Amino acid sequence: MVADQLTAEIPFFTQRRSFDLRWEEMARQICEVLDRGEYSQGRKVAEFEAAIAAYTGAQHAIGVNNGTDALVLLLRAAGVGPGDEVIVPAFTFVASASAVALVGARPVFADIDPETYNLDPEAFDVTSRTRAVMPVHLFCQMADMDRLLSRTRRDGVPVLEDSAEAIGMRWNGVHAGLLGAGGVLSFFPTKTLGALGDAGMVLTDDPRIAERAAALRWHGRTAADPDVSGLAGVNSKMDGIQAAVLLAKLARLDEDIARRAVLADAYTERLRDTPGVLRLPTVKNGPPVFYVYLIEVERRDELVEHLRRDGIGTEVYYPTPLHLQPCFADLGHSRGEFPNAEAACGRTLALPLYPDLGIEDVDRVCASIRGFLTGRPS
Amino acid sequence: MSGTSITVPFFSPDPFVADHDALLKIIYDLGTGPDQKLILGDRTAELERRLRRTTGAGDVVACGSGTGALTLALRALGVGAGDEVIVPAFCFPAVASTVAGLGGVPVFADVDPLTMTLDPNAAESAVTERTKAVMPAHLFTAMAAMPALTALARRHGLTIVEDAAVAQGAVLDGTPAGRWGDIGVFSFFPIKPFGGAGEGGVALTDEPELGRAMRMLRNHGQDGVHRFLHHRIGYNSRFDEVLAAFQLHRLPELTERLDRRARIAGYYTERFAPLREHGVVVPPADRNGRCAHTYALLLQRRDDLRTHLEERGVAAKVFYPVPLPRHPAFAHHASAGRVWPHAEYAGAHNLAVPLWPELTDGQVEQVADSVCDFFA
Repeated sequence: MVADQLTAEIPFFTQRRSFDLRWEEMARQICEVLDRGEYSQGRKVAEFEAAIAAYTGAQHAIGVNNGTDALVLLLRAAGVGPGDEVIVPAFTFVASASAVALVGARPVFADIDPETYNLDPEAFDVTSRTRAVMPVHLFCQMADMDRLLSRTRRDGVPVLEDSAEAIGMRWNGVHAGLLGAGGVLSFFPTKTLGALGDAGMVLTDDPRIAERAAALRWHGRTAADPDVSGLAGVNSKMDGIQAAVLLAKLARLDEDIARRAVLADAYTERLRDTPGVLRLPTVKNGPPVFYVYLIEVERRDELVEHLRRDGIGTEVYYPTPLHLQPCFADLGHSRGEFPNAEAACGRTLALPLYPDLGIEDVDRVCASIRGFLTGRPS
Repeated sequence: MSGTSITVPFFSPDPFVADHDALLKIIYDLGTGPDQKLILGDRTAELERRLRRTTGAGDVVACGSGTGALTLALRALGVGAGDEVIVPAFCFPAVASTVAGLGGVPVFADVDPLTMTLDPNAAESAVTERTKAVMPAHLFTAMAAMPALTALARRHGLTIVEDAAVAQGAVLDGTPAGRWGDIGVFSFFPIKPFGGAGEGGVALTDEPELGRAMRMLRNHGQDGVHRFLHHRIGYNSRFDEVLAAFQLHRLPELTERLDRRARIAGYYTERFAPLREHGVVVPPADRNGRCAHTYALLLQRRDDLRTHLEERGVAAKVFYPVPLPRHPAFAHHASAGRVWPHAEYAGAHNLAVPLWPELTDGQVEQVADSVCDFFA
């Protein structure tokens, strides 16, 4: 038994246990989709949109195929297009910037706050071409929205939030995605609220953005005039099955978030003062919602390999800053331009964090890390 | 509207009525399975392999939807800002919106008056020095005139994106739909020939380089080896394992379902052949280049027939009443002075009757009888 525990895999993500525990409610939701034959969009997606609107307080929640599409549709619905520039942090998932490029605009990178990994509100210039500023809320907390909004209000430029990771995060009670003109949610399986495949959503209080985003996801059409494309749209509908799974999980979301907080605290307690651990999550823009538990360590890549050999899965968010990605080579950036983003890329490591994880798993992960960093096998 | 209730709906109320238990089991097994790779995993790869085998294509790339596949295809072929792509004026909007979405220019060409697919002569006259590709779409019961369009593309050095969204399983002159173009596309939208339990599609190609490009583009420009290294500006246009497992479950029955569709369409054609003397355009009876997705007639008194059918409990549907060049989204691409009379005619005169494999023989007869007695 002990030997089993020592050798059992701790994957970076799994939902095996909680999925099984919640299957009854999930199956009930899924059967409604099947019985109605509404596999794409349909009433279950509308029900999920209403539930997310209620949870976040958004006036409009528009279900789409994935978080990246949500960003593209949000940008287009907000009128961002060719010739425009959008400020994006240099340290984030590529979609924050590729969505900008996909609508024909140019991402203009800015450095991050080294403690929160989010956009530094002072680290960019607004010019006449700046059409929007896109803060990204990564890992466990939001960007500093007070400082950011006071800047953007002064400069008269809209804020579009990449809140893909930020379900449950609130700033002075306002849910992420709703502090500016609009935001997004991703329901990628590993997310705090994860589907069984890809799904995403646009959040906004602006009826005009909502109307355009809803038309764009359905080939530019509206229910009132389904035979004509008013806009050159895309196909980005949400699957009914995903909406059903998500509705069942949403009912327990706050429980899941609380469980994640307990696990995050357990990590922090065990890793505090470990030699070689350079930074633990520093919550400045709370209250936190731990989607990802991210630390900075010495010899990160060797530690990843060590943990892998120990049966522990990790992720590196993110190994390469966006300004040095090959896909943005034409923007002409070079190393050294965004030092905080570059430093983070060399040291960050995300540890397993999901409701199925046990405290004993946290113990084992931390012991393995400590063993590697101190040279004393656990 | 009369008070008659519809007894033959236009779309199948549940294309997977016999598969609910299998689908539930797939979902449970994936959610609780050891392998939590729920997107672009082993099942997707297996589906791609199986479709390579059944179609003979060198590569099959599963992605988020048929429309998504068209975008990946155009990007892989290098279509970008300012490039012209010739598309049919009478079609689903995706043929135009995917081109426009890349900053390209959809150039609308008229359709053949009988098949309602891209007219090769009209396409030829739309070629300019900026033309990069031609995107014919198979429609209703007809594949586009691929031999003539292929010859045209060769003459002008153009590539072909073949929108075979509705035509999986059809064969023209021995070559399957989806295999004529440099890239061909199938849609798995639930009501399609190989419909799935959500949104999905595939792109087919024999060109390894195009396959690699589309694989990269569908998942954020990553190469599948180096995670979070993004070579190109890509998309999220991926395929879920739930859908892949369900398609694998359904694949063995595909031929039978396609045959059932073809038999129903054949029966309609037999019953409707005499209506030609009333000026009704009825699809031809031969099987070469035929698909059996949407059974549409062309006729003068279209709206009257539609009302007549509804009074007999049969739902009928008009497709694409407004040609694409007149959609507000695309009107600025429609060159002044150009006209699309056959697209206008098709939009004003088509009427489609129910065609789905779960229709009972009684329902099929009810549809045919109802159409025929309109002309009696």
